[in-house]
Amino acid sequence: MNSIRILLADDHVVMRSGLRVLLERQGGFQVVAEAGDGRQAIELAETHSPDVAVIDIAMPNLNGIEATRHITTKRPDTAVVILSMHSDESYVLRALKSGARGYLLKDSPEADLINAIRAVHDGKAFFSPAISKMMVEDYMRQLQQRGVEDSYELLTAREREVLQLLAEGKSNKETATILNLSLYTVETHRSNILQKLNLHGTPELILYAVRKGVIS
Amino acid sequence: MWRSSRFIVISGFGGLLVLMTFAGVDAMRLLRGIQRRNEVIRQDFLNRNRVLNQIRSDVYLSGTYVRDYILEPEPQNAVKHRTSLEKTRRDMDAALRSYSVMLSADETQPYQTLQQELAEYWKVLEPALQWDVEQRRRKGYEFLRDEVLPRRMAMLSIADQIAAVNERQLNSGSTQVASLFTQFQLRLASTVFVTLGLGLALAGFSARKILRLERESIQARSELQELSARLVEAQETERRSISRELHDEVGQSLSALLVGLSNLSAAIPPSAGAELKPHVEGIRRLAEDSVRVVRNITLLLRPSMLDDLGLVPALQWQAREVSKRTGMQVDIAVENVSDELPEQYKTCVYRVVQEALNNCARHAAANTVRIIARQGREHLMLSIQDDGGGFRPDLHRGLGLLGMEERVTHLGGTFELDSEPGRGTLIAISLPLELPNT
Repeated sequence: MNSIRILLADDHVVMRSGLRVLLERQGGFQVVAEAGDGRQAIELAETHSPDVAVIDIAMPNLNGIEATRHITTKRPDTAVVILSMHSDESYVLRALKSGARGYLLKDSPEADLINAIRAVHDGKAFFSPAISKMMVEDYMRQLQQRGVEDSYELLTAREREVLQLLAEGKSNKETATILNLSLYTVETHRSNILQKLNLHGTPELILYAVRKGVIS
Repeated sequence: MWRSSRFIVISGFGGLLVLMTFAGVDAMRLLRGIQRRNEVIRQDFLNRNRVLNQIRSDVYLSGTYVRDYILEPEPQNAVKHRTSLEKTRRDMDAALRSYSVMLSADETQPYQTLQQELAEYWKVLEPALQWDVEQRRRKGYEFLRDEVLPRRMAMLSIADQIAAVNERQLNSGSTQVASLFTQFQLRLASTVFVTLGLGLALAGFSARKILRLERESIQARSELQELSARLVEAQETERRSISRELHDEVGQSLSALLVGLSNLSAAIPPSAGAELKPHVEGIRRLAEDSVRVVRNITLLLRPSMLDDLGLVPALQWQAREVSKRTGMQVDIAVENVSDELPEQYKTCVYRVVQEALNNCARHAAANTVRIIARQGREHLMLSIQDDGGGFRPDLHRGLGLLGMEERVTHLGGTFELDSEPGRGTLIAISLPLELPNT
């Protein structure tokens, strides 16, 4: 099996070299480039075509979110894991909207990073367990406070399946294949789900799935 | 300057008071003078009239006694009549003398005539008083008819003249009093005029002074507001830079430290692992705690999402945080609010919401807070409503509310607070958005 080619982007040299050591100690990872800011990250992603880019949010010149937007637009084959100190869901949502698939807190254990890189490389979403936990808790608390019936109950069994696959990062087409449905049916399910849950777009759908504990 | 104007105001009002007192006292004095004068004139008139009447009655009496004397056949009785006559003469002389003391210029002429007539009268009578019975019987009637009665008539008419003069004098006295009154009126009018003028000048001066003080106080207040706004701004800038510094430098270094520790831990040879791993693990926990502390301080100072993600995510985060911390249900509805708001607007709205939520949690004991932010074409509207205890805004207005209001008014916005004990609190602010061409 080919090792996963990785781009590291962080303005702290110590951080970058630490991550490099950490990753290369594992088998199957290869750090192909290191960037000190957002612009450099975009350039290096162009020249090295990495499988996964691990990008810090707070960087000079161009922040990690903007850099991610560029990279995922220009190079859809490169999956992005955002590294951040912010555990708030606003940041997570913003990162997802910019095209990132993984969101990791900087103080996560190393195993999380390994798992995250592997997951996004496989086309799945990954969040720091701390973040998933927090989002689920927030959701439960809101439900409790409002006493509103759980919107998840509104979904049919088929819709829940579709929700999970889409949230895991599968495309409509992949979902259709897995569930043995037509593409048109999956698209209909998707728009019904979004409408029932009052969501706008895939990033919010992923966040919802995390909150509900459908994926983690 | 303050001292001198105080001097002017005090001395002005004091002067005015003195002037008014003086005018009053003066008027009283004049009035009393007029009254006294009136009394004197009347008394004078009465005195003269009395003396004049005495003279007149003495003239009659003397005529009577003369007649009685001349026509008396009994010598003894005649002597008695003569004695009465002489007494009457003495009385009359005394009256005349007493009148001469109060004689006025106009009366001199008739008085002298009267005196002459009297002297003439007595001179004519003198020989008749020496007559014996026979003589009196013979010449008596003629004498009375030709000498005594005409003279008596003449004297009475003179006395009437004097009385008329006296009367005229009384009248002229009244005229004098009237002119005194006119004088008094003039004087009073002029005093009132001067007092009014002075009062007007003083009022003008005071008004100008008060207006200037008012202007100065308004200016001072606006300067103070400016100062406090700048203070708030400086504080915000400072907080942001500390927050950034902490996050970007300390936070990132700690994160790098964590990664380094992971690597260190992995590099420990199995033989030394049992001894070293716990140490590394301890350091790691310490670093993790530090990361958490730094993150909390950073968020407390100024949440980075306000700068990184914009107002709405920051407000939502704030709502979630407060909800998590206090158990209050914080609903937030945002309509149309742009992420590209100017820096001061973001900060203003964020801090107002922060302070309001603080109040809700700390004082109001609210269960639910509803935040609505809406951006119109010209205004950014924000309302924060809670179902807590409420309060009397006219009695308890803390520094927090004052700070909110100041932030809002500094941006030219309006700040409304509606609360009542038992009815919750509503805060509504409206910020004018700058037009693109200004």
